[in-house]
Amino acid sequence: MTLLRQYILPRIVQWFVVIFVGISVTFLIPRLSPVNPVDQAMGRLTSFQTMDPEATLQMRETLLDLYGLDGSIIDQYLNFWGRLIQGDLGPSFQSFPTPVTEIIGAGIWWTIGLLGTAILISWVLGVVLGSLAGYFPQMWWSKFLERVVITVYPVPYYILAFVLLMLLTYYWPVFPLVGGSRGDPSFTWEFISSVLYFGFLPALSLVIGGTAFRFIMAKALASTEITSDYVQYAELAAVPKRKILFFYIIRNTMLPQVTDLALSLGTIFEGALITEVVFGYPGVGYTLYNAINSGDYNIIMGITLLSIVGIATASLLVDLIYPLLDPRVRLR
Amino acid sequence: MYRKLVFLFVLALFAVPTFVSVAQEPQGLPVDVPREEMFVVDQIFRYGVAGNYNIWQTAGTTPHRHAMMDETLWYVDQETGERIYGAAISDPMYNDDFTQMTVELRDNLEWSDGVPFTAADVVYTVETLKATPELGQSGWHAQFNQFVDSVEATDDYTVVFNLLESNPRFHNIFETRWNGMYIMPKHVVENVEGDLGTWTNPDPVVLGAYLPTQYDPNGFWELYERRDNWETSVAGTVIGNPGPQYVLTIFYGDSSRKAIAMSRGELDVYFDADIEAFETTLDTTPTARSWYADFPWAYPNEVSTRQLAFNYETQPLFQDIKVRWALALALNIVELQTEYIGGVAKVTPLPVPATPSLTAIYLDPMQEWFENLEIDLGDGTMYKPYDSTVPDQIAAWAEEQGYTVPGEPAEVFGPGWWKFDPETAEILLTNAGFSRDGGGNWLTPDGEPFTIDLQSPPDENDAFRMANAAADMWSDFGIDVNLSGLERAVWEQNYFVGQVDVYTPWMNFALASGDSWPEVRGDHPKYYVPNGEDVRPAGGNAFFQGQRLQDPQIGEYIDAMAAVAPDDPANFETATEFFKYWTENMYAITAISFKKFVTWDERYWTGFPTAENPDLMPLYWFQGGKFAIQSLTPVS
Repeated sequence: MTLLRQYILPRIVQWFVVIFVGISVTFLIPRLSPVNPVDQAMGRLTSFQTMDPEATLQMRETLLDLYGLDGSIIDQYLNFWGRLIQGDLGPSFQSFPTPVTEIIGAGIWWTIGLLGTAILISWVLGVVLGSLAGYFPQMWWSKFLERVVITVYPVPYYILAFVLLMLLTYYWPVFPLVGGSRGDPSFTWEFISSVLYFGFLPALSLVIGGTAFRFIMAKALASTEITSDYVQYAELAAVPKRKILFFYIIRNTMLPQVTDLALSLGTIFEGALITEVVFGYPGVGYTLYNAINSGDYNIIMGITLLSIVGIATASLLVDLIYPLLDPRVRLR
Repeated sequence: MYRKLVFLFVLALFAVPTFVSVAQEPQGLPVDVPREEMFVVDQIFRYGVAGNYNIWQTAGTTPHRHAMMDETLWYVDQETGERIYGAAISDPMYNDDFTQMTVELRDNLEWSDGVPFTAADVVYTVETLKATPELGQSGWHAQFNQFVDSVEATDDYTVVFNLLESNPRFHNIFETRWNGMYIMPKHVVENVEGDLGTWTNPDPVVLGAYLPTQYDPNGFWELYERRDNWETSVAGTVIGNPGPQYVLTIFYGDSSRKAIAMSRGELDVYFDADIEAFETTLDTTPTARSWYADFPWAYPNEVSTRQLAFNYETQPLFQDIKVRWALALALNIVELQTEYIGGVAKVTPLPVPATPSLTAIYLDPMQEWFENLEIDLGDGTMYKPYDSTVPDQIAAWAEEQGYTVPGEPAEVFGPGWWKFDPETAEILLTNAGFSRDGGGNWLTPDGEPFTIDLQSPPDENDAFRMANAAADMWSDFGIDVNLSGLERAVWEQNYFVGQVDVYTPWMNFALASGDSWPEVRGDHPKYYVPNGEDVRPAGGNAFFQGQRLQDPQIGEYIDAMAAVAPDDPANFETATEFFKYWTENMYAITAISFKKFVTWDERYWTGFPTAENPDLMPLYWFQGGKFAIQSLTPVS
């Protein structure tokens, strides 16, 4: 009961507060921006053609009415919460009247699939290889891996992505230039293999960058850990090296690594704009970018809502999982 | 053990891509359609709405779709300036006071489901759009309510519009530059249950030659298949050629990705690229070409032009005509066109592009006037600013580069432009009260440094290069120019509210037919909005009104054109007088016509319009682009 009152409950309350404040701020910020969705829509609708100015004015009034932007900001805020509680994020303005949920739904699974997989792979690779390299610093492969990582890590992601794109779509054109799959979605090998095929290159770019960062972090943590008394005692006691690595070193370096993993997974919902643009891959990053440019408040709200909930929930889970991973947290 | 692990890891890094690439055909197109039956076109942006073919909705996505699926009454080809009959079979017919328009329709058209097209479809479309505010595409709802009293079918193939007021240009709603009112299949739409504003038209019945069959939910691509009865479509009737069985529109993104896609045989035509990517295409795709087979390659006749536009309120010094002319004469158009644009666009002294038809209507007849034009330098001295040798100078540059000029210089590079004459520009500024400081930099009459805040969006390639040229040349002349390359939305917002001195819009003062009024009506001073307020809510042309220009004389010219029929000689005479007035005052500096590296690969398809075969415009993303696609034949 004490655990619930003193540890779990405050964190859940904090979770609610973070989400409420985050959503309210996100509601306000686009409305303070000079980019107005009605005028943006007017710009799109009239950019290719000449239209009678009187008709333009009448169309503007119609759009204000259709978009539900003719009330005060307080009215809009209350309406927004009323809709949100019912799970309705409203229509997209730039793709009116398509519901925001439909537009986000079209991209979110690609984002989750790509980023979730890439983060998990790079996390496992980074932690295991980094810890191995930290535990066996004198081995040739350890030095080799470290040199490779130190070379790759400082390269800006967009350069790395563009180099991969050029290498594997132009000079050795084995991967596609655009899209997430071929054909209609189905549980067939043909479709699943096309998802792997289309997603391999963007995933590789993310895995390389993510692994390098986590390798450096894991190696540094492991290098510190191998000098601790209990590791040295275990070695003197002839405990198998595999056991020392996984149960003494990696477990003790796990707290910051788990935090990194959880927060990284929480940010998935923001999408990966550069990856999507460079590799022509579907996802919500590009949708969010377009929404910001066109003042599509509802899309911005929808994606940011997912992101806020994702990060807040990841933080909450990390807080709740810590005592299970580390007995020292439990004691405190 | 660990060595084995490392070895396996490295092995996996190489093996997996090999495995997946072997598991798949090395072909990155997202549809399984025989390549030789499919024409793959560059989709000009990623669609926000996928799978929604209710193109009449306010946010209905138009590019490509309207060329493939939809019909209107008339098309005006931007290359030839000629009218092509769409669903109509003759010109619009007005009564004497332009309060009634009669249209005769083709009697041999069918919808894709085999139902005959009749006047009832046109009447139903107009009445439905008029009654449904949610169907806001292209402002047709608002315009029908503004102009149409009633519409009726007098027989199966004749429609009569009774108008609320005299309107000699009512037919513009049904005639393309970009598009014309998309005709609805009455027998389908009248049976839709529920709200037409949210209907997604999931199984389209089309009057165009192609039906959408597959799409990417994320808006990257759409696949169209030619309808079985294509001979009864407008494009099928006009061209008489089946065209490709399939058309795939696909969004690749930036220029380099398009160049790669074309080199892989996964793109048959792209709509534009920067010159570097275009040159890469020529190097990597031997079967690729643009409008010209050789220099200057690009399609030069899209009907629009690019300006350096002044904001008269942010920088009140621009209100002095001497300052405006000084800035024009400080520009070296030959250097701008060659060193910055690559020699591939036409120069033009008017906001009217140097297309063959508009050159014949305006630019050629005005040549003598241009050459005799004199401006007052401010001290009573008169000066002739026009230089008709500009195209010859550009041609000389081209020959120095080893290029062959494919025709008369004036036909290829435009008619002429203003002299590059910094000495006269110096006189003009001096007579306007300016002076130079010890470092040679210009000071305003108040003794402050003369600074210009010049803004342009880098994604609008030619506009940004033009801005760079102007920044360099005006800086060399001693003006402190601050050039900002801004994200499109920020750039637009700044000129909408007047936070810029000079910006780079694209304006056009005449349709391909030569009619000016539809393009300039939003430039009327009655839509003026002062600096600090957004120009858009007033309803005028935002590009133009961003200048904050108030000149009642411009309004008088526009009103005079509105009162006469578009083909009335008086209309062209008034337009010409307006252009002279605009030019004398140098209200904005027009530099070049639009150009596009519309580039196609002849690996699979041939018959696209070219400079050697200029019967149609190659602008396939416009509604009238359907005729170019219908003209294609397979190479094999």
